[in-house]
Amino acid sequence: MLDWIKNINKEYPDFWKEYLTKFEVKPNRFVVLSTETSGLNPNKDVILSLGAFSVTDDSIVIKDNFEAVLLQYKFLQDNGLSNEFIIESKMMKMPEPDAIEAFINFIGNSVLVGHHINFDIEMLNAALERLDCGRLKNEALDIDMMYRKLMDINDKQFSLDDLSEIFKIPKSDRNSSAEDAYKIGLLFLKLKSRLGIK
Amino acid sequence: MNTIAEHIADFLKEYPPFDNLTFQELSDIATNIRVINLEKHAVLFQNNDLLHDSFYVVASGVVNLTTIADAEETIINKCHEGDIFGLRPFFAKNNYMMTAKAREESIIYAIPIAVFRPFVANNSDVLNFLLESFAVNSRHAKDNVNSNGKLISDTAFYVDQQSEMQYIQSLAYNNSPLTTESNQIIKDVAILMTESMVDNVVICEKNNPIGIVTNADLSSKIATGRYPITETIDKIMSSPVVTVIENVSLAEAQLLMLKHNVTHLCVTKDGTSKSAVKGIISEHDLIVAQASNPGVLIKEVKRSQLPKDLKQIRDRLSDLIQNSIQKNIPISHVSNIASEINLAIIKRAVELSILDLGSPPARFAWLSIGSQGRKEQLLLTDQDSILIFEDVAPDKYREVKDYFLRLAKRTTSILEKVGYELCPNGHMGSNMLWCKSLTDWTKQYNSWMNTPGENSNDLSSIFFDYEIVFGEPKIEEVIENVIFKNAVNNTLFFDFLGNDALKRNSPLSFFKKFIVEEEGPHKTKFDIKTRALMPLIDSARLLILNANIKGIKNTYLRFKQLAITDSKNAEIYLSCAEAFLTLSKFRTVEGLKNDDSGQYINLREMSKTDKEKLKNALTPMKDLEELIKSKFQLTQFS
Repeated sequence: MLDWIKNINKEYPDFWKEYLTKFEVKPNRFVVLSTETSGLNPNKDVILSLGAFSVTDDSIVIKDNFEAVLLQYKFLQDNGLSNEFIIESKMMKMPEPDAIEAFINFIGNSVLVGHHINFDIEMLNAALERLDCGRLKNEALDIDMMYRKLMDINDKQFSLDDLSEIFKIPKSDRNSSAEDAYKIGLLFLKLKSRLGIK
Repeated sequence: MNTIAEHIADFLKEYPPFDNLTFQELSDIATNIRVINLEKHAVLFQNNDLLHDSFYVVASGVVNLTTIADAEETIINKCHEGDIFGLRPFFAKNNYMMTAKAREESIIYAIPIAVFRPFVANNSDVLNFLLESFAVNSRHAKDNVNSNGKLISDTAFYVDQQSEMQYIQSLAYNNSPLTTESNQIIKDVAILMTESMVDNVVICEKNNPIGIVTNADLSSKIATGRYPITETIDKIMSSPVVTVIENVSLAEAQLLMLKHNVTHLCVTKDGTSKSAVKGIISEHDLIVAQASNPGVLIKEVKRSQLPKDLKQIRDRLSDLIQNSIQKNIPISHVSNIASEINLAIIKRAVELSILDLGSPPARFAWLSIGSQGRKEQLLLTDQDSILIFEDVAPDKYREVKDYFLRLAKRTTSILEKVGYELCPNGHMGSNMLWCKSLTDWTKQYNSWMNTPGENSNDLSSIFFDYEIVFGEPKIEEVIENVIFKNAVNNTLFFDFLGNDALKRNSPLSFFKKFIVEEEGPHKTKFDIKTRALMPLIDSARLLILNANIKGIKNTYLRFKQLAITDSKNAEIYLSCAEAFLTLSKFRTVEGLKNDDSGQYINLREMSKTDKEKLKNALTPMKDLEELIKSKFQLTQFS
């Protein structure tokens, strides 16, 4: 509640200050996002790539997208992993601080949508902490929750593949965070219209 | 960098007009796309909506384009994966003229016009494709041979009201007319006309038309005895010929015929009689251009030379059926017409095969069996047929059987091209088993009927519904007599058929709920064919054979006839007859809606009243079952 008091004397980076000002107005778009991470522990693991699309007026706007591979030299070095596959990919590559800054600028005050989004947000928060920023303030929707609410199921979780199967989203042979974000986007559109969310 | 845009570009480049663009161009377009999800029955735009800023491509699913005329919805087009629609904003300023509605959950790409327009301007192929798509006004985009079948009509077209568009469309006519010189003998010309199956011949001098002779001239000048048939043709020709230029429109051709009171127009290179003949337009061509009416379709079938032509006619028949059902024309009437046309198509397929193979070495009969034999085929279901040829000397037998097998193979493959799937159980004349001499068939029927169940695996009751399509009617009579002779007091056979008819699962549960498929691809759908229609069809056949009534082949008429002969149960029969029609209609509507055989009805899509109707149609079956059980004392088995 009184979190902001702790931070009152803290000097945030400029992009974060700007981000905070965006919340004075109501959000008018959704951003579907998906992250690829090195593991499941927000404190130890890092984000390897980010993919996101915006959804406005019940449609996915292909142009309004964000894709980046994060160069995690330090993490790879510490864990003795190779970075070959990263070098090979054609995607835009940037170091973590630049990528997170660009991503924060991209999402602004939008409502975030993802699959098990809480984990994505935890990972992003951990990365933000490394940059001396606060935690994300965006509202967030989880498509797994939306589906369970729609079907009134409380006792099990559905993976992204399960949901794609249920809604007959064509499988793609390629796998990346952008692909996943697009799939989540389609699922979100389907669930949104069924649940009547505006 | 945008991976998804690249996937979309990948998808688009498979389909016209996008296949004319480079991958880079497509990526630019794809980057600007919006992806929309339409729930089942969701409307993308409606008649008279303001134009959107985009046109649309179906990424997955199906979108129906419909117009509303006289308070009824008519489907103009079904757009499948890769089809483009909603092109109006490109060419016109007024509001949409149709409604686009998802038939099933669909994903649509919206391509902004502003983004796409520059590509159109720089690429004439793309422009032409879009213009054609927009202007094409035939409901048969697939008829358009040069358009690779991907045109989507964006202009309204009704069968019942002639749109002005039709009058500016050009005519299809015979562009290789029969011509002859003026010094030819009438008899030779008449023989030539008969051989080429046309009713007119153009008399030319150095390729320029100087006169025309039609069947009307032959009947008024030859058959009346005014001229002997040994005269030269120029004595009886009508001259001068009314000539028109190529690409004349339908309206103009009609006006010219009325004005000059003629039935044929001669098309010449420059439209005067002083240039080479290019074709003949007959009244028939005008009729064809105007509508698909049953008479015309049958006539067309008789003229067609290629499976492709037959396929076109079959497609038009589907439209005719769909329109008739939408207009509530009684289904019994619709199936009569449909079966006549189906019959003509099959007959023509046999004829074409004979034309290819030469005359048959013996008399034979080609019979349709199953639904076509009962004259109940409204949808493109699979083909079932048998071939019976007359007995020949043993030394000739092999050769004759070989010929007929070849004939049957040809015929079934023509029919397959037309769209009638091959029978999965191989019940076709092209199968060694079902192409036999009359004696063999007689033995076959005898063994089926006197020792049923011995080889029960190959007794299929559809062999007891047959209809001669082509050949010697006497052969059919012989088989009919064999069947009815064997049927008299044949308890064993009727037991067998009765159990066969009753072994199907009942359509409703104890609590009057529909019993639906529990698994498989048709989960939660109601199997109307095996649970409702088949029991009625089987029962009608059984009862009619038992009553020894010949010549009534149709389930509806069978029940009607039974009501007359077995009057104490008339009420049950009559309600079964009505039920059968109702069920057939449900199946046909479902089939036309989804382009399949309509076997599985999707109950979730049905309105409450329709469900009640369907349930009511299933109630007489219980009574019928009881009646059959008591009549044939089947209780010991079932």
